[in-house]
Amino acid sequence: MNGIVPFFKKEICEMIRTKRLMVLGIVFTLLGIMAPWLAKLTPKMYEMLSDDLDQQGVIIKDVKVTALDSWLNFEKNLPMALIIMLIIFCSIFTNEYSKGTLIPLITKGLSRTGMVLAKVTVMMLTWTAGLWLCFGITCFYTDFYWDNSTVSGIAFSTFCWWLFGVFMICTETFFSSFASSSAQVLAGTGAVYFILMLAGAYKKLSELLPVRLTDSTSLYKSSLSKSDYFTAIIITAALSVVLILSALIKTGKRSI
Amino acid sequence: MNILEVRNIQKRFGSKTVLDGVSFCVPQSCVFGFIGRNGAGKTTTMKAILGLIKTDAGEIDVCGERVTYGKKLQSGSIGFLPDVPEFYGYMNAMEYLTLCGEITGMSGKALKNRIDELLELVGLEKENHRIKGYSRGMKQRLGIAQALINRPKLLICDEPTSALDPVGRKEILDILSAAREQTSVLFSTHILSDVERICDHVAFLEGGKTAFSGSTREIHELKGDSDIELVLASPADLNQVAERFTDSKLSDGRLILPKASDKKCSELLRFLSENDIPLIRLERIQADVEQLFLEVVGR
Repeated sequence: MNGIVPFFKKEICEMIRTKRLMVLGIVFTLLGIMAPWLAKLTPKMYEMLSDDLDQQGVIIKDVKVTALDSWLNFEKNLPMALIIMLIIFCSIFTNEYSKGTLIPLITKGLSRTGMVLAKVTVMMLTWTAGLWLCFGITCFYTDFYWDNSTVSGIAFSTFCWWLFGVFMICTETFFSSFASSSAQVLAGTGAVYFILMLAGAYKKLSELLPVRLTDSTSLYKSSLSKSDYFTAIIITAALSVVLILSALIKTGKRSI
Repeated sequence: MNILEVRNIQKRFGSKTVLDGVSFCVPQSCVFGFIGRNGAGKTTTMKAILGLIKTDAGEIDVCGERVTYGKKLQSGSIGFLPDVPEFYGYMNAMEYLTLCGEITGMSGKALKNRIDELLELVGLEKENHRIKGYSRGMKQRLGIAQALINRPKLLICDEPTSALDPVGRKEILDILSAAREQTSVLFSTHILSDVERICDHVAFLEGGKTAFSGSTREIHELKGDSDIELVLASPADLNQVAERFTDSKLSDGRLILPKASDKKCSELLRFLSENDIPLIRLERIQADVEQLFLEVVGR
């Protein structure tokens, strides 16, 4: 894995100077703030709409918002954060191949394995920092307005989302190892996500698939326990490792 | 000792044969011109030498070490300048060279000194701007600096002058000529005047094969007897000479004696002297790379 450290430093520099880090920082911060604030604003929004709703025969009284509403908003925001991140990272490999920027570095001894692992590490670090920043903001405001202890499994459900994000990053890396354009990478990654969602509709299968990890509502409401997620966690982690190993083999054979 | 030995390499892309037996050797401390028409297979040969593509047959040795596809040479002995070098636009020259140096295992003061030395060699020592604002010529110069960072024994340049203006071309050729003191240079081109300017060895690639490989001196020897060009004070005298030397040709007030031997040259001088014919110029036209290249490609 010759050259992995300098290449990793280059990736960090790229994240900062191309403003990808700033954009993702803003996205994760905004989504973290939006979850509790939307919950907080919900009664006022109903109040503003009450006259119109009265005329239609719908009477709204005493809309009560709890910490659960804030965390449900948080869960709904996470796919948006993940999709934005995957779009930003879809060209991280293909740009290097199409422009030929890797050629001078590889002829100097940068190993292809080191190159892939440096990029995957940067993507995972970004996802980890972004997700937990988003979680921290939601956690603080929710506890400030209500009480986090009334909702169960908030940290565990966020860990499940983190693992699902890691799996999607590995999927994107796998498609990047042979695709020739960022559009192909995005289409492949999107197709995997779509197929998983469709397969997840079949209840018996959904318990085993990575999409189970995105079901935070059942954890918040205690309708499912942590142990119900363990099989999906192991399968997702194993699939992620397989995808990364396949990406390393494919990248090693790729004509640059 | 040869720095690079290429023996009978072959490469097919689908049904198209791109390389069909390319062989040549690059000696130590020389500038080697790798000449061929567009699409002749120059870049494919270079990528094969770098281990970036897999050949179907043949062997390549760099400093005695066999080149294997996808594997780095232990000696780390090749520097490469692509035809259109692309860099990370958000970095400046110093940062990019630091990245290249660190990948080769250099660090600290030794790396900084080497970068300063190279930036001075390529004339970018005062450039602090990011690479995205560089002209094509500046990128080529930075490309040479990055290729030389770890003092490679062989510098491979893929058409380094083809997209540059005359000033940029001269700068690159001067840098490559100066780099000869540190390394052997293999550069591909289809600009024959560049080859004549700095190369001491050449190889012609035609139809996927090496049509000629040798020193520029050998080119002159290979051509054997060269033409003699004669210009006289009175054009009327030219006819008199042409009548005596029947294989000569008249053109634009000059008389050309094709493939004239030394004996024929003496005969001509004697004839001019005996007939008191005033002479303006008598010149033996040296065979050049262009003539040989045109012969090789059959034009």
